[in-house]
Amino acid sequence: MASVSLDSVTLRYPSGTVGLADIDLHIADGEFVALLGPSGSGKTTLLRTVAGFLTPTAGTIRIGDRTVAEAGKSVPPELRGLGMVFQQHAVWPHWNVGRNVDYPLRRSGVARRERTERVEKALTLVGLEDFARRDPATLSGGQRQRVALARALVAEPRVLLLDEALSALDEPLRDRLRIELQALTRRMGLTVLHVTHDRDEALALADRVVVLDSGRIQQIATPSEMLARPASALVARFLSDATTITGMSSADGFAAAGHPLIVQPSRLEGVRSTGSCEIAILPEDVEIAPASGSGGRDAGTRFVANEATVVSSLFGRDGNDVVLDWDGLSLRCRSRSHRPVVGERVTVSVARAIVYALAPAVATEPTLEPAQL
Amino acid sequence: MSATRSNTLAGSADSGRTRKGVRPGQPEPGRRRPDGVTITRTLLWLACLALVVVPLGTVLALAAGGNHLALLLEGDVLEAGVNSLVSAVLSAAGAVVVGSALAILFDRTDLPGRRVFRLLALSPLLVPPFVGAIAWIGIAGPTSPVNLWWRDEFGGPLWIIYGGDGVVFLLIVHSYPIAMLVVSAALRRIPTDLEHAARIGGASALRALVNITLPLLRPALLSSFTLIAVSNLADFGIPSIIGLPERFVTLSTLVYRYIQSGTVDRPLEVVATIGAVLLVVALAALVLDLVASRRRWELDSSTSTPQRLPLGRGRVVVAVLTWTFVLTITVLPLLALLSQSLLPAPGVPLTLENLTLDNITRAVTARGTVTGATTSIMLATLAGLICGVLGLGIGTLVTRTKARDNRALHALAILPQAIPGLVIAVAWLVIAPRIGLFNTPWLILCAYITSFVALVVQAVAAPLSATPLTAEEAARASGATRLRALVDISCRMAIPAAVSGTVLVALTAVRELTLSVLLLSPGAQTLGVAIFNLQQAGSYNTASALSLIITIVGLAGLGFAARSPR
Repeated sequence: MASVSLDSVTLRYPSGTVGLADIDLHIADGEFVALLGPSGSGKTTLLRTVAGFLTPTAGTIRIGDRTVAEAGKSVPPELRGLGMVFQQHAVWPHWNVGRNVDYPLRRSGVARRERTERVEKALTLVGLEDFARRDPATLSGGQRQRVALARALVAEPRVLLLDEALSALDEPLRDRLRIELQALTRRMGLTVLHVTHDRDEALALADRVVVLDSGRIQQIATPSEMLARPASALVARFLSDATTITGMSSADGFAAAGHPLIVQPSRLEGVRSTGSCEIAILPEDVEIAPASGSGGRDAGTRFVANEATVVSSLFGRDGNDVVLDWDGLSLRCRSRSHRPVVGERVTVSVARAIVYALAPAVATEPTLEPAQL
Repeated sequence: MSATRSNTLAGSADSGRTRKGVRPGQPEPGRRRPDGVTITRTLLWLACLALVVVPLGTVLALAAGGNHLALLLEGDVLEAGVNSLVSAVLSAAGAVVVGSALAILFDRTDLPGRRVFRLLALSPLLVPPFVGAIAWIGIAGPTSPVNLWWRDEFGGPLWIIYGGDGVVFLLIVHSYPIAMLVVSAALRRIPTDLEHAARIGGASALRALVNITLPLLRPALLSSFTLIAVSNLADFGIPSIIGLPERFVTLSTLVYRYIQSGTVDRPLEVVATIGAVLLVVALAALVLDLVASRRRWELDSSTSTPQRLPLGRGRVVVAVLTWTFVLTITVLPLLALLSQSLLPAPGVPLTLENLTLDNITRAVTARGTVTGATTSIMLATLAGLICGVLGLGIGTLVTRTKARDNRALHALAILPQAIPGLVIAVAWLVIAPRIGLFNTPWLILCAYITSFVALVVQAVAAPLSATPLTAEEAARASGATRLRALVDISCRMAIPAAVSGTVLVALTAVRELTLSVLLLSPGAQTLGVAIFNLQQAGSYNTASALSLIITIVGLAGLGFAARSPR
């Protein structure tokens, strides 16, 4: 097992598009790190750069104490000593299960008897003992993914790379493999880099989560820290479906621009400054209650500052997922006790909001420009 | 309670059986009155039977009835058969090797200029084989500049293309693009993750290609081999122009001789026997291919862009070799045609004062050319239109409806593609007197339609089968009848494909030789036959001029068809 360090890694395509911008990431030996981001955020690009399928245009990548990539130079993937599981399992259809798992050992020149032993061990590890002679076509999706995992682990890789490894599976199966994956990697003390677009999966599995957007790292934090204190309005929006709104912050609290929302100073967290700013309201921090005396058809005609209309109300295991139309602002909240019906008028109160300086949010896109020039 | 329940269940099964008997006039549930779709389906079935089953069946029947099988073992036929078989197998093997090497170079390596050269390498597909043969005589014929110079220097020619080796060489040149297309399509279907997984497992890029990608290509290699071998088994143009001067006789040239000059008794029955044997061989190859393709692996869709194999230090060498090869195969013949067109006779040195436009004038104004062009254009246009309509109907029906006979109809319509043109020509020749088309150009039209309807069916079926059936279901839900949904939704979606298929048929037919030369009737000369006759009569340069013209027109037409918006 080994650590992985990326120092100001940048990847610019010949077309000028920036795939990765100035990535600094240090993964400790035995750590499980999840790369999370919307599609096109660069998470797969980052993983494939670590794997060696892409060469960074600037910066260095180190695996253990060995530099595997620096400006223009790159150690090919086969010499990096990695294990990798792909979204579409990539089990070779023309070989049986045993031959598939055996392949990395053959390539590293392991003697035949030892190979048979290690293949059997790897298959047992993923719960597929006696599957060595099976044709991959006869396996279920979950079994194929286990074969892929056995193949990735058999040569004792220094780092395990998972590229949306569970995303192609059905929900209950994905859940089970998630549990097995965590148990297995913890027991073996594997260094894992796991790419996913599934937020719950990243939070559930990882020691630390990295949120990427437009090729940049937005935040690196432990799951609980990231949920409680998203580093930017963007992370709050992406990770927790937070509602964000701009306005003015003063000693009296926050007043939204063009909207009746006012948040008292005691309920504000984050940057304490006056002037233009942006706040993020997490769904858990919105409290709703049935509006008193309201209802019926005249509800829309009477304007009350803290009343909103329910647009949708989805039932969930840990609270109902409610979207409100509050005077033009679409506000998401999680109501644990009360499940309102669509069209109902409710009173809204914001228990907590996180304040962010406005500048970076606007400036993030222009910063890519100098890099392209 | 539970007892009554089981009783009702049993009762309902019984009443279902009795209901039929009680009310015979009532339409049964699940079976409709014949509607528009059923009628269309019946008509298309009849067309397929008339165009495919009747002629091919007649060949088999006539061959079986006459029992001329012993004749097949006679010297001439046996020798021609062996020549055909050997040249077909060798050329198919060569074409698969060349085609897949080029496909891998263009699709999976960082070869410079691969895009341009990929297109260029496909161009022999667009040049009719007999035109290629005429062009190559200009490069490697006995009086070609290369051979003349070599004779002066070393006292003998370098290589004369006439004979069996030349036939195999030219067959390879004209069929490797098919292998290249098939292998290239198969390469793209192999997910790059499979190679990536091998790289991570410790394989170099080259080893990943050899261990993972090449084995997965095996079905594609096998099926392009059978496809090419069968179609080369009975090509007429190349063996007649290149093989005959060295007495290299193949089945197609032998059949031509039998038909033209009655050197055997009852030529039709003898020819039908040869056709039947070829048909059986073709069908056997088809079955072989189907069995082999059963073992094809289910592959997931490719998720990422392919990793190109870096050629490294050898990049320049490989590039120069590939470029030279592709340019020699594709551009050189056209240049040879051009120089032959502009020179008064073969062997005349290429100098400015020797250049003349006489050949081109003669080629364009000769009576044979004019009538040939008129007949060809008429037949090709009609063939294109009829194939377009039939192909659109069949292609739509078999992909967009659910019926048990879809597969059979589809297979029947594309079957002629796997059958040598020679067999189709013989088939129509055999039934011509019985349907009153003997000695008329319409016989050629029938053979064109039989041969080329598959082109449109495939062009239509491929995009349609990739579209989910919900498109029609939405139309049905909006109130359209079955036929209306098919016409408004499926056919509309397929029309661009049908149009390009039609153009492809017309362009193929207008330059066709094998079918027309065998089905030739007095006063029904086609363009291909006109060129062939000029060549046979010794007017090599006029033949070259005419070849050049139809090649350029054909390339331009195909380029136009490919460009037209889909």
